[in-house]
Amino acid sequence: MIFGSGILKGMLVTLKNFTSSYFKGPDEGGLFTVQYPEKRLPEKENFRNFPFLVFDNTPDNLRCVACDICAKECPPKCIYIVREFDKEGRPLKRPATFDIDLTVCMNCGFCEEACPFDAIYMDHDFEIANADRHDKLLYHKDDLLKSNEYFRKIRPTNASAVDARRHEAEEKKKAAAAAVAAKAAAPKPTPPAAPNSPAA
Amino acid sequence: MISEMQTGIQIGIYLVMALSVFAALAAVNLPNIFHAALAFIGTLLGIAGIFISLRADFLALAHILIYVGAVMTLVIFAIMLTQRLSDPNVRQHNNLSAPAFLGGLAFLTLMAKLIYTTPWPVKAAGTVPHVSVMDLGQALMTTYVFPFEVISVVLISALLGAIVIAKKDPL
Amino acid sequence: MDQIFVTLKSGILDQLGRFLPDWALVVHSVLISITAIAILGPVTMMYLTLLERKVVGRMQNRPGPNRVGKWGVLQPIADGIKMLTKEDIVPLRADGVLHFLAPVLIVMPALLVFAVIPFGRNMTPVNLNIGFLYFIAVSSTSAIPIFMASWGSRNKYALLGGMRVIAQMISYEVPMVLAAVPVLMLTGSLSTNDIVTAQSGWGGLQWFALTPWGFAGFIIFFLCGVAECNRSPFDLAEAESEIIAGFHTEYSGMKFALFYMAEFMNSFTVSAICTTLFLGGWQGPGFLPSWLWFFLKTYSLIFVMIWFRGTLPRFRIDQLMGLAWKLLLPMTLANILIAGFWHFTHGWIKIAGSIALVIASYEGLVRLNQRYTPEKRVYTFAE
Repeated sequence: MIFGSGILKGMLVTLKNFTSSYFKGPDEGGLFTVQYPEKRLPEKENFRNFPFLVFDNTPDNLRCVACDICAKECPPKCIYIVREFDKEGRPLKRPATFDIDLTVCMNCGFCEEACPFDAIYMDHDFEIANADRHDKLLYHKDDLLKSNEYFRKIRPTNASAVDARRHEAEEKKKAAAAAVAAKAAAPKPTPPAAPNSPAA
Repeated sequence: MISEMQTGIQIGIYLVMALSVFAALAAVNLPNIFHAALAFIGTLLGIAGIFISLRADFLALAHILIYVGAVMTLVIFAIMLTQRLSDPNVRQHNNLSAPAFLGGLAFLTLMAKLIYTTPWPVKAAGTVPHVSVMDLGQALMTTYVFPFEVISVVLISALLGAIVIAKKDPL
Repeated sequence: MDQIFVTLKSGILDQLGRFLPDWALVVHSVLISITAIAILGPVTMMYLTLLERKVVGRMQNRPGPNRVGKWGVLQPIADGIKMLTKEDIVPLRADGVLHFLAPVLIVMPALLVFAVIPFGRNMTPVNLNIGFLYFIAVSSTSAIPIFMASWGSRNKYALLGGMRVIAQMISYEVPMVLAAVPVLMLTGSLSTNDIVTAQSGWGGLQWFALTPWGFAGFIIFFLCGVAECNRSPFDLAEAESEIIAGFHTEYSGMKFALFYMAEFMNSFTVSAICTTLFLGGWQGPGFLPSWLWFFLKTYSLIFVMIWFRGTLPRFRIDQLMGLAWKLLLPMTLANILIAGFWHFTHGWIKIAGSIALVIASYEGLVRLNQRYTPEKRVYTFAE
């Protein structure tokens, strides 16, 4: 044991790191830094960031019914919903305003858990940095609306489960409607009880 | 041309001298003891400049190395450990300032008398022999070997004394 | 290629000589050298920061700065602009004059030392016959501005850092000078030029570092040099984890940059002097120009400094002092003795005597550096 051999050993470790950073790949002890804006790591499916609203096919056809559950559930109270009314003043099942203040949102995902209509989900978009935190970071309905295809793309597992469930519910509803119709058709035609009642 | 340069150099030398005198006055008169020490460093540097103008490069650099680099650093170190370092209420003079002034005056007259009575060998400009480090070393090891050794003994005893004082337990 | 800078300077002087008197040419010759040094110093410092960040990064498996320009080559310029535009903060109760003067004065010794470094054949800016003493004297004054900074900022961390610097600089100056003594003894000169020419044998490879005593002296000198410019692992003065930033805690913007600059220029000059004394200066096999040899050696020493920083943790203050006074200083003294013996005796006496001296000094050192074991204490109340 020579005096100072420990120091030499340590210096060899750093020298090995230094040289391997030039000549070796990321898996063999070389540099493993990914140069972010140019290159990206593949996004993890379970990554969740700020919420977004899902619509089917067209943006008008959004799933949200303005029930306000998510706004009540939201711990930091960053969701603000106003229901839409038609010309006669009757409430419609869609929001007139749906705002999320992203400076307040803490990405907990409770809204996603609470929503009974599969309308709000957590997004993968994290690059929302902005120079104006008052206007640009207060997302309105138009900013939040994203298609179901997008949802299927970023979170395929969850989206297919949700789609299957919705499809099943749809089928069940159709079957029930068909059964009702069959029941209605089999006996004497009776006046329809409530043909215009909401199906949901 | 050459004479112009020489006057320039002379003006420079006088500036250095004025600076060192000014710094010495500041070292005595500044109320803040740390500033005074820094002014004293200025004086020492000025003296080194005078040595350089006399072509005593080795002496000048040894002066800087020993006085500025070592002695003044230790002085400042000691100053740092004193209390009331920059207290403006500290008096600059005490009762002994008059005798001190007289003593200084006596020393000054003595020095002046010595300087004026010593016959200085004057040589023509440009014939000043250049003393190299080698010559200095040889002189120290031959002609002046006794004072040299005495100084080293003094330094060794000072070192030993410092160790003895600093040691907690008696040897 | 070898004399490219020398010819460049004489060419400029020739052109100026057409319309300038002789004495002005002398002044201009000096001015050109000064300008070259004044450019070299800061540019060296700027790119040393980049080199340091790159190398330390690589040692820690990071790529280091790579955004500004290709491989980050413009990073120092971006840093410089940032430093220049930062707010200059002076503490309310600071000693204004000293706080301002300290960063100005600390660059002075760092720049002045460049004057005696032989950058290449015929490329010593000032060929002083006491060049090495000049280096030691001038670099010893750099303790004063550090003291001014630490005292002037009226901050306890700054003061602690300043005290640490001074203790460290005084301690390490002694073994540093003594480690260089064998070289000066055998060269018989203090001039940096003579020291370099003394190592010109063996086709420019007869470096002092290749002799036994020279190797020991080289290691000790280099370690002391690292300690002199307060670099890791001797950077107690700026220990971030203990005293924030030491003596430049209260500095910001360009004043801070000046401290940084002095530190990097010091590490450059220490490496350069180490090269001159032990690694043959600009001497080297003739296929490369002399100044390139010089810079290659100097930069490899700087690389070793950065390597130290990337590897070693910081010393404790008592370990630092112990290393200087109890290990390095006796080693240098023994080294002087052995160098003299090695040089002035011949045959088997030389080998046997040197080995005997080494063994004797090793024994002495081991005995001196025995670990202090306090006697067993009996606690009456703490049991």
